[in-house]
Amino acid sequence: MERIPYWNISYGLLIDLLSIPAMAVFGYGIYRHWKRIRQGKASVRQGITLDALKLGPVYVWSFLTRGIVGTRIYKKPFTGIAHGLLFWGMVVLTVGTVLVFANVLFGIPVFTGEFNRRFMGGALDAAGVAALAGVLFLLIRRLSPPERLTCFKANSGFILIEIGIIAIIITGFFIEGARIAQNGIDPGSFVGNWLGFMLPTGEGGLELHRYLWWLHGLLVLSLIAYIPFSPLAHLVLAPANAGLDTPIPGPKMGVIDFEAFEGEGEEAPSLGVSKLADFSRKNLLDISTCLKCGRCHEVCPAAQTGKHLSPKGVMVTLAEYLQEGKMHDDSLLETISTDAIYSCTTCAACMEACPVSVNQPNAILGMRQHLLMERSEMPDIMGQAHRSLEARQHPFIGTGFGPNDWRKGLEVPIYERGATEYLLWIGCSVAYEERTQHIGRAMVAILKKAGVSFGILEENRCTGDPAKQMGNEFLFSEIAGRNIEEFNELGVTKVITMCPHCFNSFTRHYPLLGAKFEVIPHAVLIRSLIEAGKITLANSGRSICYHDPCYLGRHNNVLSEPRSVVSSIGHLVEMPRHGSESFCCGAGGGNYWTEEEGTRINQTRAKEALDTGAKTIATSCPFCMLMLTDGLKKFTEEQMVQDIAELVCSQMEG
Amino acid sequence: MQIVVLAKVVPDYEVPSADFELVGNRAHPRYTRMIGLYDENAVELGVQLKEKLGADLTVVSYGRNDDVQFLRKALAMGADKVVLVEGDSDDPYVIAANLKDAIDRQGTVDLILAGRQSSDMDRGVVPGVLAGMLDLPFVPQACSVESVDGGWKISQITETGKRLLKLSGKGVLSITSVPENVPRIPAVKAIFAAKKKPVEKLPEIGTGKMAVSELSVSIPKVESNCELIPAEDMDDAVRVLLRRLKEERYL
Ligand code: SF4
Ligand code: SF4
Repeated sequence: MERIPYWNISYGLLIDLLSIPAMAVFGYGIYRHWKRIRQGKASVRQGITLDALKLGPVYVWSFLTRGIVGTRIYKKPFTGIAHGLLFWGMVVLTVGTVLVFANVLFGIPVFTGEFNRRFMGGALDAAGVAALAGVLFLLIRRLSPPERLTCFKANSGFILIEIGIIAIIITGFFIEGARIAQNGIDPGSFVGNWLGFMLPTGEGGLELHRYLWWLHGLLVLSLIAYIPFSPLAHLVLAPANAGLDTPIPGPKMGVIDFEAFEGEGEEAPSLGVSKLADFSRKNLLDISTCLKCGRCHEVCPAAQTGKHLSPKGVMVTLAEYLQEGKMHDDSLLETISTDAIYSCTTCAACMEACPVSVNQPNAILGMRQHLLMERSEMPDIMGQAHRSLEARQHPFIGTGFGPNDWRKGLEVPIYERGATEYLLWIGCSVAYEERTQHIGRAMVAILKKAGVSFGILEENRCTGDPAKQMGNEFLFSEIAGRNIEEFNELGVTKVITMCPHCFNSFTRHYPLLGAKFEVIPHAVLIRSLIEAGKITLANSGRSICYHDPCYLGRHNNVLSEPRSVVSSIGHLVEMPRHGSESFCCGAGGGNYWTEEEGTRINQTRAKEALDTGAKTIATSCPFCMLMLTDGLKKFTEEQMVQDIAELVCSQMEG
Repeated sequence: MQIVVLAKVVPDYEVPSADFELVGNRAHPRYTRMIGLYDENAVELGVQLKEKLGADLTVVSYGRNDDVQFLRKALAMGADKVVLVEGDSDDPYVIAANLKDAIDRQGTVDLILAGRQSSDMDRGVVPGVLAGMLDLPFVPQACSVESVDGGWKISQITETGKRLLKLSGKGVLSITSVPENVPRIPAVKAIFAAKKKPVEKLPEIGTGKMAVSELSVSIPKVESNCELIPAEDMDDAVRVLLRRLKEERYL
């Protein structure tokens, strides 16, 4: 029999009328979020531009993939699948409901033939079952939660919502069953038909149907009205957050235009973030969107090794301040603590793990900028490194080497305007530590062997990246400005980097300060030299485990090239955490120059590499190399860590 | 109240010995220049006193014309004014006489702070000579200063500990480093503000020299004999190391 909408229901249109206030409450709730978020600053930082498909400010691809499909949720397969079943189940059910309305209002024939059997019957029942399975899983997990959900704070309100959704789905099925009990089998409605056999017929059945129908309708409307006031607000906030998030990985700090400060001196606006009102609207959207799911906490090297920082903890504190309207309360940084703010290694593991595209490091670095540029507060050793960077253009306090010691006894060409193709950028880390100097020497040998036209600067120095990571945007822009000026004078158009921090700075931040040159990380260049047959390598066959430097892998997606280089030299072995989910070596964010609390990050990572059983640990970052070499000392006296340039150099043939 | 801090711009004092080169008995000009290590401690202490007492803080330096850009750091740290006497003598007597002349031009000065020794010549003579010229008491190796009824309460670091002294009136102190006077990192606004603060340049006054002449300068040869200390753990290692250092009379 054909289904008749509002069958057995008098005044059924009341539900449609009641949907108007429900939607109004929903709209009001969303407006409240909007009003809160509007209190942030319109984006003032200059950010890197990107040729991504955009509709207004919305990055369409991020919106669709991360916002709607929720790709990151599936990184935790069970939760991901449960979430997917619930979400997509509810989407299909909503489509079904809309079709019912379409039938009532416009007579669209959805209750006839195959479409009725397959979609209005079968698919809707299947969607209901899927959603029910998903929500039951999520409810059980809320009732016996993993640590990540409860640390700092659990998101209250989910249990109520989950029970509500279960009630909605079950009442929906029972309405269907009660209708079928009265009207006979509905083709395709496998759950309804099964329930129909068990439910009463006659007046009792009709009454049950009526009560269930109203209960179901009112529950649905209540849930809709409640969404923005509950954690389910992420249904709206998460896609918005994903859509407004530049799809470039990493914290995306942009640069600050200090020229504006020239004339203002002491009256210039406060730098960085000391209170909620200093955050951008995107930051406030991040804070509003955070689900307190703790995925970021679980992957954060600081949080996992006993430091004061947890990205979730930071988000929870910020959310509480926002909730309480403390926009101008400058106790914020004390509550979060200087220690926590400086423990972030800027590895961006948290961002990568976050299912709703929150940019935690951006918030943390914003606060760091304030501590450093306004209050001059930073941990002691980092302070010494900072002072060194300020005075001598490199942060390697107490180094036993001068800027050119790394090339003693080696013929290295100096860059010549118009005559040299590539500038081999040495930077600070390759120059000032004995261990990393070998990377520079190996790279010179490789380039010479491959016949690449290259040269170095007469006096090498830092890109300024450590200053930026420590929060001193001003020092960074000064150093970068000087470098850009010199590059322009020399006519540099192509640069090779050996340090991913240099690469990241050159490609992300220098262009915003007027730089126009191409940059290639040594891993990528070496790969292309191998492919072009410019160097040939003997494969030793020994097992080599590759550690992804955060600033090359996660921040810049250079994942396959170093692996391919490693595979040309030996047998590539992976650590459990690798690629864009790699674990930081602990050096980033200026933390190379800190006394670590708790377990040392480099030891944790070194152990992970050692446990693969590989004979060699390869990296493509001088900081990773130093950190892992040091971390490994706890477990073995063997020198197992090598940069890919060193490995390539030792296996070059002919 | 006015406090004067003496600061000298020197070649990078952390140039590793392996990279160190002399030109005409002085550090090679390629090295980065900066305010001397202990002088920054003195500036920091001066800024702290300024903040506590509402004093004026003047940085007085003897050196090259282009040292101003480095001295601005002291302004960014909180000093109000820089006075630079342009000159290139290394003679402590000449330097002190010129500093005295600059200080005399500043009106009433209540306290003079200097680093305990410059980071290039490392002699630590100038503050003492200057105190003599100004006819003021000289307290070396001070680390903290407090204002007390018309004078100053001073902590002096001795080889074995600390001594508390009272100075009833003006004086010249040379400052050593303690964690409390680690130089601050200037805030960005202070760096901008420093660009507008006054810098006064004075010509050198001719004066006599000390009867000491430099015969030669040499860089000590660095030799390292590596010896591994057998020890169970860190505590044990420290104990063994300490014993060895004492046995070898390094301590
Ligand atoms: S960037 Fe890395 S260290 Fe910083 S909060 Fe995120 S996960 Fe933790
Ligand atoms: S920031 Fe993201 S990953 Fe971290 S708790 Fe919030 S929603 Fe979860």
